[in-house]
Amino acid sequence: MSAGPAGPVDGAEGDDTEGDDGWEPLQYHLNVDGTRRVVSGARLEESLLTVLRERLGVTSVKDACEQGRCGACSVLLDDRLVTACTVLAADAVDARVLTVAGLGASGPAARIQAAFLAHGAVQCGFCTPGLVVAVTDLLGRRPAAGEQEIREALAGNICRCTGYGRILAAVRDVQAGRAPGGSGAPGGSGANRTNGVGGA
Amino acid sequence: MTTPGGPSTVLHRPGTVGEAVASLTAEVEAGRDVRLLAGGTDLVPALRAGGRGPAAIVALRRVLELRVRGASADALTVGAGVTYADLAGWSLAPGLAAASRVVGSVQIRNCGTVGGALGSANPRGDLLTFLAAAEAEILLASARGARTTDVDGFLRDGPEPGELVTAVRVARPSGPQTYLKIGGRQAAFPALVSCALLVDRVRERVCCAVSGVATGPWRVAAAERLAGDEVDWSTGTAPLALARRFGELAAGGLRAAPPLPEDPRHPADYRVHAAGVLAARAFARCLAGVRRGDPA
Ligand SMILES: Cc1cc2nc3c(=O)[nH]c(=O)nc-3n(C[C@H](O)[C@H](O)[C@H](O)COP(=O)(O)OP(=O)(O)OC[C@H]3O[C@@H](n4cnc5c(N)ncnc54)[C@H](O)[C@@H]3O)c2cc1C
Ligand code: FES
Ligand code: FES
Repeated sequence: MSAGPAGPVDGAEGDDTEGDDGWEPLQYHLNVDGTRRVVSGARLEESLLTVLRERLGVTSVKDACEQGRCGACSVLLDDRLVTACTVLAADAVDARVLTVAGLGASGPAARIQAAFLAHGAVQCGFCTPGLVVAVTDLLGRRPAAGEQEIREALAGNICRCTGYGRILAAVRDVQAGRAPGGSGAPGGSGANRTNGVGGA
Repeated sequence: MTTPGGPSTVLHRPGTVGEAVASLTAEVEAGRDVRLLAGGTDLVPALRAGGRGPAAIVALRRVLELRVRGASADALTVGAGVTYADLAGWSLAPGLAAASRVVGSVQIRNCGTVGGALGSANPRGDLLTFLAAAEAEILLASARGARTTDVDGFLRDGPEPGELVTAVRVARPSGPQTYLKIGGRQAAFPALVSCALLVDRVRERVCCAVSGVATGPWRVAAAERLAGDEVDWSTGTAPLALARRFGELAAGGLRAAPPLPEDPRHPADYRVHAAGVLAARAFARCLAGVRRGDPA
C-alpha cells in the first residue's frame, strides 16, 4: 500500500492571489432526493446540512447541534445513514442524498410516519424527520430488530419530548403490520439496504 | 478530480493513494494550509467552529484502496478508510469489532474511519485504546515512500507534513479479546474511561490498555506481568480472585501515570477506580468464564 512519489497534481490551478476575505465561492451539483440541484456561492468548508438548508432550502433536515450528536439532520448518503452536519457538502457531489421528503409518499417511510402520528410519537416534531430517516434505514437493514437493537440503532437521534416510548411503539407497530409471518429474518449485513424496503 | 474553488479553496478528490500523496505534497510544498478529510465526523464540525477554513482539503472518500481490510496467516490489515460500521461485525477481529460497536451512533459508525481516529488522536479514542493494547503497527505514506511506526511513536510524533495513514496492522487474535468503556451518552460523547484487553495464548500473555486516566492509552504493565505469571496457560483460564488482583494492579499503575488534566466532574480518583473495575471485569470475561451480565 505504498504511494508512488509521482502522479498528477490535481487542483493546483489558479494563481496564488487571495482575496481579503480569503475565499471564492464554489459552484457544484448535488443529487438531492433524486433531483440534480445547483449549489452556488458555497464555501468549501460548508457541511451538507448548511448547504441543504441555507443554499437549497431543504428545511425538513433540522439543524440543532451541528456536532453529529443529536441526529436531527439525519439523511441517507448513498443508502447509509449519516448526520448531514458531519458531511462536507462539496465532497458529496457524486453521492445520492435522500432526505425524509425523498423517501416516498408510499412504502415504508409513509407507514413509519403514519405510525408515528398514530402513537403520538410526534410532539414538537423537531426530531421527527431525522428519526423517520433513521427508522427507515433500520427497518430496511433489520426488519425484525428486537427492542434492544431498535433502541441502540436510534441512539443517535435525540428526542426531547416523547421519552422514546411512543417512538418505540410506533416502530413495533410498523414491524408488526409489515411482517406478520416474520419475513425479515435477522442476519443481513446491509445486503438488502435500499430506501425502498420491498413492499408488503 | 478537483472542484476548484478559486485560489484559496481547493478540494482534491484523489482516487488512489498515489494521487492523494501527490495532492497533499503539492499543497504542503506551496506552503498552504491543507487538511485530510475522511469521514468528516471530527473535521467537518471543527471547520464550522474554527472561523477561516483551510486553504485546501484532500478528501479520501474515493480512495478505494484505503477501504480494504484483509487477513494473512498472522496479521490483520485494516485500511485507513475502513469505517467502524465495517469493523463492527468482523468475526476475525473480535476485539476491533467490540471496540467499533461501542463508538458513537449508527450515523457516526457509518462515517468515522480508522484513519480519522488516528488523525484526531483523541487520547480517549476507542480505536486508539484498542490499537495500543494490540501493539498495532501504523502504516504511513508520503512522497518519501512508505513507513511503519507503532502507536506510541505515532502518538508522540504524529504524521509528518505531507504524510497520511494508509492502514493499521495487528496480529491475528490468539485468544479472547474484549473492550469495555463507561461514560455519558455513548452516541454523543467519547468514553470517560475505557479498557481493551487481549489474551495471547500462544505467547502466554495478556495485553491491556486503559484510556481516560493517563495522557494517552496506558499499558498496565504490572497487571500484565501478574497475568503472564499466574494464568493457567494450559487451559487459558484463571480464578476470579486473580481478576480482582489484576484490577488492583492496573489501578495502582495508573495512579503513577502522567495524568490527563483534572476534570471536576470526574476526579482522577474516580477514573482510576473505574479503570480498575473495568480491567478486572475485562480480565474476568476473557479468562475467568464470567459472561456479560453476570455479577463480577
Ligand atoms: C457525535 C460523535 C460521537 C463520537 N463518539 C465517539 C466514540 O464513542 N468513540 C470514539 O473513539 N470516537 C468517537 N467520535 C470521534 C470520531 O468519530 C472518530 O474519531 C472518527 O474515527 C474520526 O474519523 P473520521 O473518518 O470521521 O475523521 P475526519 O473527521 O475526516 O478526520 C479527523 C482527523 O483525522 C485526519 N485524517 C483523516 N484521515 C487521515 C489519514 N488517512 N491519515 C492521517 N490523518 C487523517 C483529518 O485531517 C482530521 O484531522 C465521535 C464523534 C462524534 C461527532
Ligand atoms: S444537527 Fe447534525 S447531528 Fe445535530
Ligand atoms: S417530538 Fe420534540 S424532540 Fe422529538
